[in-house]
Amino acid sequence: MKAISAVALGVLTAIGGFVDIGDLVTSAVVGSRFGLTLVWVLVIGTIGICLFAQMSGRVAAVSGRATFEIIRERLGARLALANLSASFLINLLTLTAEVGGIALSLQLATSISPVLWMPVAAFAVWLVVWRVKFSILENVTGLLGLALVVFAVAIFLLHPDWLQLGSQLLLQPPAQTSESPTTYWYFAIALFGAAMTPYEVFFFSSGAIEEHWKPKDLTQSRVNVFVGFPIGGLLSISIVVCAAIVLLPKGIAVTSLYQTALPVAQAAGTIGLIIAILGFVAATFGAALEVTLSSGYTLAQFFGWSWGKYRAPSQAARFHVVMILSLVAALGVLLTGVDPVQVTEFSVVFSAVALPLTYLPILIVANDPRYMGKRVNGRATNFVGLIFLALIVVASIAAIPLMIVTGAGS
Amino acid sequence: MSRRPRIRRPDELAAPPRFAGRIVDAELELLDRQVFDPDSVQVTTVDDLELTDVDAAHPDPDAPPEILCLLSGPVFGTRVFGGRPPESRFERVDWAHVARLTTAVALDVTAEVLDISWLERWFRDRVIARIPGGRHDPE
Repeated sequence: MKAISAVALGVLTAIGGFVDIGDLVTSAVVGSRFGLTLVWVLVIGTIGICLFAQMSGRVAAVSGRATFEIIRERLGARLALANLSASFLINLLTLTAEVGGIALSLQLATSISPVLWMPVAAFAVWLVVWRVKFSILENVTGLLGLALVVFAVAIFLLHPDWLQLGSQLLLQPPAQTSESPTTYWYFAIALFGAAMTPYEVFFFSSGAIEEHWKPKDLTQSRVNVFVGFPIGGLLSISIVVCAAIVLLPKGIAVTSLYQTALPVAQAAGTIGLIIAILGFVAATFGAALEVTLSSGYTLAQFFGWSWGKYRAPSQAARFHVVMILSLVAALGVLLTGVDPVQVTEFSVVFSAVALPLTYLPILIVANDPRYMGKRVNGRATNFVGLIFLALIVVASIAAIPLMIVTGAGS
Repeated sequence: MSRRPRIRRPDELAAPPRFAGRIVDAELELLDRQVFDPDSVQVTTVDDLELTDVDAAHPDPDAPPEILCLLSGPVFGTRVFGGRPPESRFERVDWAHVARLTTAVALDVTAEVLDISWLERWFRDRVIARIPGGRHDPE
């Protein structure tokens, strides 16, 4: 019985923790501008994150090495330093977006200006990272994030034209859109980057070490990932569908977090809106915790400092200093008055650019018997892994040119 | 039809190693590896190695260089960008403290007594321990 509830808890937190500000914004933007014609990207992205999150977790459990230690061991000092610089900066960008997302969500709940919420949000994130145990932090935000299921419910309450939605799924563009192919592919890459954000892998592999996973825990992690993440992906798809049903026909292209919640408000009224906002707060707060920790993980693992939430902060001093400074930097950027939604849109595209830097070393080490013993990748995993690596490289190369050509999708 | 494994003639075999024990490629299996102390606390990453002096122009095959120390600190910067820090800026861990090599390097002394951990101790004592709750385990 205890084992079953542990599995259920793991799966539920994987579902609730899947969505972050990048998914909330990008899914709604894409749904309101392209209907369901980009849903296939979310499906592919979700398969990709399942594959690589599980792989990095397996490497961590079997070899005891977290992702950034591996990146440095495999790429050597020079290339790894370039990788660290890029990954850390993109992580900071993501952190800025998430803290801004918390503030925007709290604004929806209270009507108090987000500028006032930003310092509160950053401080709250720090306080949790400073004091709260890893397992509690992971479970509570994951479970609260399940509130986003309200988007899936809203689809049915909206009584959509299912046939028309189906034809959009089959890449028949809805009549109301007049987007160019370059914009379409730009948002395809943004959506891919939002689904496969590198911090998820840093967090997942470091979390495996935080929780002292051993090879026997791998079955549990496999269930969490292969059941929880796809259902989490369905939540992202629900947001796309809601936007496609309500916002697209009215010609509202999403530019704020408030508009993401509009379809739920129309379908389920005030109660629905309250639940959706609760989901927003939980999803952004949970992701902000994960990204804050990831900024500490990447630097500490690269330089070999003591790290981990299982220790008192004084036993991992530099790790905590890095996290504090990252939060201060993110807050500083937000207080200049940038629009957190725009920061989010940039962060997912730059994530797509950085994807190969993270995923290639994982794939290499997952095949190295000196690290993995008998638990190296099977042929099927390597086959799918290589296909994804090719996709990731193409997306990474195409991202910046498309960003320039489309004027960042405007 | 099964093929018999081909048996190599003695003269086809590579010469046996001159030193007994496991052979480690220092560049691949030592550099950039995580270093742990006996309590599984991360100490540093191997940023570079300090070797005994050899005459680079006339290397002596009978007296190969030996590893003196694991290095960290400013040598990382010079390894990436070139150059060499002054001797006084080398942060060393004596090779004698290395207990085991696996996918990481295990030492036989605690991080607490090593000079190389001074920056960690500095941030602990001057910054982190002074913030309320800094010395408490997470709850």
